Amino acid sequence: MVSFTLRRLGAGVVLLIAISILTYSILFFSSANIARNLVGDQATEEQVALKEQQLGLDQPFLSRFADWFMSALSGDFGRSWFTSEPVAVAIANRLPITLTLVAVAILLTAIVSTLIGMLAAVKRGWMDRAVQVGAVIGYAAPGFVLAVLFVTLFAVQLRLVPPVSTISPGAGAAAWFTSLLLPVIALAINAVASSAQQLRSAIIKQLERDYVRTLRSRGIAEREILFRHVLRSAAPAGLTILSLQFIGMLGGAVIVEQIFALPGIGSLAVTATSAGDIPVVMGVVLFTVIIVIVVNLLVDLVNGWLNPKVRVS
Amino acid sequence: MTFGITPRRAAGVALTLAAGLLLTACASAEPSPSGSTDEPGEFVRGETLRLGILQEPLSWDPSQAHVGHLLQPYQAVYDTLIMREPDGTLSPMLATEWSYNEDLTELTLELRDDVTFSDGEAFDAEAVKVNVENFKAGNGRQAAQLADVEAVEVVDADTVVLELTQPNPALEYYLSQAAGLMGSPAAIATEGIATLPVGSGPYVMEAAGSVPGSQYVFTANESYWNPELVKFNRVEMKVLVDVTARVNALVSGQIDATIVDARTAGQVEAAGKTLSANQVDWTGLMLLDRDGTLAPALADVRVRQAINYALDRETMLEQVQLGAGTVTHQVFGPESGAYIDELDERYPYDPEKARELLDEAGYGDGFELTIPTFPGLESIVPLLTQQFADVGITLVAESVPPQNIVADIAGGKFPAAYFFLFQGEPWVAINQLISTEATYNAFDSMTPELQELIDEVRISGAESDDAAKKINEYVTEEAWFAPLYRLDQIYFYDPNTITSVPQTQQAVPSIYNYSPVQK
Repeated sequence: MVSFTLRRLGAGVVLLIAISILTYSILFFSSANIARNLVGDQATEEQVALKEQQLGLDQPFLSRFADWFMSALSGDFGRSWFTSEPVAVAIANRLPITLTLVAVAILLTAIVSTLIGMLAAVKRGWMDRAVQVGAVIGYAAPGFVLAVLFVTLFAVQLRLVPPVSTISPGAGAAAWFTSLLLPVIALAINAVASSAQQLRSAIIKQLERDYVRTLRSRGIAEREILFRHVLRSAAPAGLTILSLQFIGMLGGAVIVEQIFALPGIGSLAVTATSAGDIPVVMGVVLFTVIIVIVVNLLVDLVNGWLNPKVRVS
Repeated sequence: MTFGITPRRAAGVALTLAAGLLLTACASAEPSPSGSTDEPGEFVRGETLRLGILQEPLSWDPSQAHVGHLLQPYQAVYDTLIMREPDGTLSPMLATEWSYNEDLTELTLELRDDVTFSDGEAFDAEAVKVNVENFKAGNGRQAAQLADVEAVEVVDADTVVLELTQPNPALEYYLSQAAGLMGSPAAIATEGIATLPVGSGPYVMEAAGSVPGSQYVFTANESYWNPELVKFNRVEMKVLVDVTARVNALVSGQIDATIVDARTAGQVEAAGKTLSANQVDWTGLMLLDRDGTLAPALADVRVRQAINYALDRETMLEQVQLGAGTVTHQVFGPESGAYIDELDERYPYDPEKARELLDEAGYGDGFELTIPTFPGLESIVPLLTQQFADVGITLVAESVPPQNIVADIAGGKFPAAYFFLFQGEPWVAINQLISTEATYNAFDSMTPELQELIDEVRISGAESDDAAKKINEYVTEEAWFAPLYRLDQIYFYDPNTITSVPQTQQAVPSIYNYSPVQK
């Protein structure tokens, strides 16, 4: 188990370095006009050249990347070119919001989709068909459309929650709850729809297995078969689905955060990328990759705990 | 030369007032809140002013300050040497009076002696010197504002002289903008100034509550030298880049004022908010390649005039902007001294005339013109293409990433470009669009005649507006541009909580222009 974890962490570090190089080179080749955008359209060519020099934009790729990499290794991710905020502070301020958003959404997805998937698999019949149709509709409706719909209906018309996030440093639980309620639901609906569908098939597959027939023949209660045996056997599949959903949600958060003006990593990524704020983009990419690696590792460990067969691989 | 109300300014005041009254009358059936600050003694300071902003400072170092949308946050924490009133009049602030020498190369400023920065440092002539030098060294967005200032001479604690290499007709104006923002001399040399401003302004930034990209929080400066300007206990600026988010926040009462666009204005108005619009930018084509380097046809003034005649400005304003703007044929705005009424009738829509001119110029069979296009031009480009086609010109719109657009235009990659441009003071516009140093004079077009006019503006002091008018006539007649219209900046505020007065040449009001509604 320990060597497995270490190997996975080692692979994660390699992945991290590879993605850093890739991202930096993409940014490098699209960074030609950052200095002009920083000094504005009333600046002279000399000012633009001076700005490029100040930011090191006149340096070749390797020396720029090496500079960034060595500073990053020592924990210094630089400052945003467009707000002067230290990148580490920007991420520390924003990560909790995005992680809360995605974690609550994934928790909600796990609970609701398990219930629905189980219900459909066990009851079959009209319930199953209703779940299938609902899943297709839920999956087809893009999260951002739902988000816009929710804002208009629940925030602007009915005034149940504020349309724009009220989360700020020191904000209370109420602000977090009302600000995250709609984004979480908007983010979770797609995920619930597709996870419920896949959990349903996973449970049905288990219910058709021989061991279920054996258990039934021994007179074990249906409830016990379902919760103690079938669900546990279907769990690894479910976990994998959820871990993929989690990563997908990090992407979905980008748009949802924009709509609700949530100060999370997603909205930071959008502003920084479109502006060409290289230090911030690099920070965001780095931390997102770390989150993905950690989540995948955790899922593998939990899977191993649930199902000893996986551990050897 | 000191501050004073010139006839042009007086007309501006009257116009602004009339427009304000008209707008208030149209916008709300309820009685409008009274202008509270007029009755001293009765004024009750407001609780919290909540603004939706869409741009935020690159850095709080005053040398990095900017104009337009971005002046407002700096004004909260920094005072300027000179104050610019909503109508554009310049009045005392940190400087109590100022005057030029005979040949306009020395500006002497008398300073207040009762001002301290929020870190306890005193404001004096030495502080002005440190700030001017910091601004010049900072390579900020408005560094050009002090390009002509060569040195600062400290005469005594409250007198300072700015020495110029050559006259600059906009210097006093600049001292009411980015170049006039005064930071604590002890703080502006440090790295901390980038994220935490230290000034003498009406408010002090609350670092703990301020998160770049999200919101900035300011609290009243209780020891401010002019308590009348501190109208709220607290100011919150919420960064809302998306227009839908700004509309939702305003409509649901989360913020008191923000800027929206023509397409969302109806919804905001229906929610009972008050419109406080003014015009700041013009939009249209810059016919840049006046020597015909990339597009030989543009070297002929008849071709450039033909393009002006080919444009159905009214229709485009109606379709793209829902009528929220004013058709124009000149690049100088009505608030600038260079504006000439009659020029707005110079090029009426006349495709027949356009074809004749093209024919005379030898382009009767048409030619191809390439312009850059970028997100935001989706509705205008098809209309332009159609109207160009009607007179035989093939318009090719080449997609350019938004972050490259300014550099590509300035770098002379396109013979013409459609863009949105600030209509500032004449000297500002000349140096943005017309002079050989101007970013948007991409091919450095110039004639001896025009250069003479520009030099005249520089040295004419109080009469520089008349000289600028001649430049306006020249570039309009020579069709250097093909402007379409001036855009309305659609700024709304909640009349139940605040009043807001538009600031000339700014899309958003100055921080001093908001007042709490007096109960």
